[in-house]
Amino acid sequence: MKIVVQKFGGTSVDCPESRLLAAKKVIQAKMSGLSPVVVVSAIGRKGKPYATDTLVQVLRDIDPQVPPAPREQDMMMACGEIISTVVFAHTLQTLGYKAIALSGGQAGIITDPEFGNARILEIRPHYINRLLEQGYIPVVCGFQGITQPNDEYEHGAITTLGRGGSDTTAAALGVALSATAVEIYTDVDGIKTADPDLVPAAKTLEVCTYEEVAEIAHQGAKVVHPRAAEIAMDHNIPLWVKSTFSDAPGTRITDSTALDAVRQRLTGITHTGKLVYIRLEIENAEHKPHVEREVYRMMARAGVNIFLVTFSPKGLSFTVPRTLYPIARDLLDGMVVPIALEEPDSEGKQSVYYIFKFSEGLDLAYSVQRPLLGAVEKHIRIVDVPASVIENCTMVSVIASGHRRVHGVLAMIYETLLNAGIAVHQTADSEMSVSFLLSESDVQRAVRLLHERLFEK
Amino acid sequence: MSLPATETKAPNVSFERERGVYAIHITRDVAHAVVTLEDDSLRSARILQVFRVLASAEVPIFLTKLHRSAVTFAFAGPDLPRVEAALKTVGVKSTARRDLAVIAVRAASMRDLTGVMVAIADGLYAAGARLFETGDSHNSVVCLIENERADEAVQHLKSAFRLDATAIREQNLSSEAAV
Repeated sequence: MKIVVQKFGGTSVDCPESRLLAAKKVIQAKMSGLSPVVVVSAIGRKGKPYATDTLVQVLRDIDPQVPPAPREQDMMMACGEIISTVVFAHTLQTLGYKAIALSGGQAGIITDPEFGNARILEIRPHYINRLLEQGYIPVVCGFQGITQPNDEYEHGAITTLGRGGSDTTAAALGVALSATAVEIYTDVDGIKTADPDLVPAAKTLEVCTYEEVAEIAHQGAKVVHPRAAEIAMDHNIPLWVKSTFSDAPGTRITDSTALDAVRQRLTGITHTGKLVYIRLEIENAEHKPHVEREVYRMMARAGVNIFLVTFSPKGLSFTVPRTLYPIARDLLDGMVVPIALEEPDSEGKQSVYYIFKFSEGLDLAYSVQRPLLGAVEKHIRIVDVPASVIENCTMVSVIASGHRRVHGVLAMIYETLLNAGIAVHQTADSEMSVSFLLSESDVQRAVRLLHERLFEK
Repeated sequence: MSLPATETKAPNVSFERERGVYAIHITRDVAHAVVTLEDDSLRSARILQVFRVLASAEVPIFLTKLHRSAVTFAFAGPDLPRVEAALKTVGVKSTARRDLAVIAVRAASMRDLTGVMVAIADGLYAAGARLFETGDSHNSVVCLIENERADEAVQHLKSAFRLDATAIREQNLSSEAAV
């Protein structure tokens, strides 16, 4: 039995016409001798009556001051996929096919009990296999599972898998069922060299590696969720990205060792994140590591993830998500890091207090805290750590496999941006990409210009 | 419609990557250059000049960082003579050293994790390793430190992230520079 897992996202199931097109893809697979297993997302995106956000809003509206409990919120969110699954299975039934709707738990998807971001621990595929043997088309709820039925605290509670959960469900089922392929259906006809809304000339890639897709997804493109790509990569399951609305062949995603042509190439341009770039000036190189560690510690305690960390002899810079910037600023502004000196300095002072200063202002902690330190200034040296901030930043990335072994990639990108008068605040690179921190207002132009230079010439 | 009964023949499958740090990779024989620039209107043009001469000299660079008065980057140790020669043609002040190693701490969805940076900083501090530069991506945090401190740093990080020996991998850029 050759099994194919077909996943349909929100836009593919949000109206009867789209569902019919999606159902036809399933029927085509069935007619060609494959055994399809369907995974569906909730119907429509934000604002639609059965979309996940809409369902959660029902709970939030009860009392905006009381956030829903994670367990109950997961149960509520799971309803979106349950409705969608039943509607899709019924659509197939009305077309004359034996279809059966399954919740994540009924499909054997067992997760850990981290509500809202559960990880799949195992899949018990027996029931689905049995259904397939009997000629059924199982239609499985994406994005959800259940905890172990014998879990000490949560007996078979419904969990959700977090962002991109339906892709993760599809890839995981593909592995568990030893599927010949996992097909992710969406509203674009494959993986593009750039966001087609920004770059109409963006091309569809015929083939991509798992690593490229994971990188593209992590860097902002929303075609396949990186967790799904990682599962497919770790278990070598052939993955396809196709359009529900066309017969275009889509993009095949495969192992890099099977494909010499893509080992060193430019794959695409992505952009992601609403970020704030913070630069701290720490004048004493000897004390700098200690001060830096206190910054990391403070951010970690508050759950603020920092990235694009950059060192210079007298500075430290990093970005934080814009939503977390007020927390970061409130924590750091006025923060004091005391350091005891091994020997008194030339003025006989035995300690240094570093105090973080975001800006002058009556309502900021520095302006309150600093005068208080005046009383000890005779014995302790007080040193400001000025912070400068660039708000409204975004990261633009060029996905470039093997760029660390190829010269000139950075020069070409930097030249394109510089010639267009686009300021680059910082750069970062991984094995698969080169990223640039730009002002948000420049992003659209930067993506278009880079695409033109790298993919159209 | 009668539904089939559940049975338990086929094996269960487990597969998702663990949360958190799962590996540490060491890359030896890495060099690092600091090119000093004036913080003036020509800064960006000078940075481009530096990138261009390195491209002409066919030197791949990584961990590139822009500072107010400098641009810094890493490269394979054997490329050091070519980098020095290339930078001379631009007429900028620069320093470079070749006794470094890159320690890459790997995790799934690194940017969703908090506290990794502080654990790394604590580990490197305990090993007495000076951090020359750092970089991060969705699946790793990389740190450029002195090669002679790399082994001790890895031991501290291994213990901080509770990894066993199978999680440690090593490569040397000397053998790869010519690629």
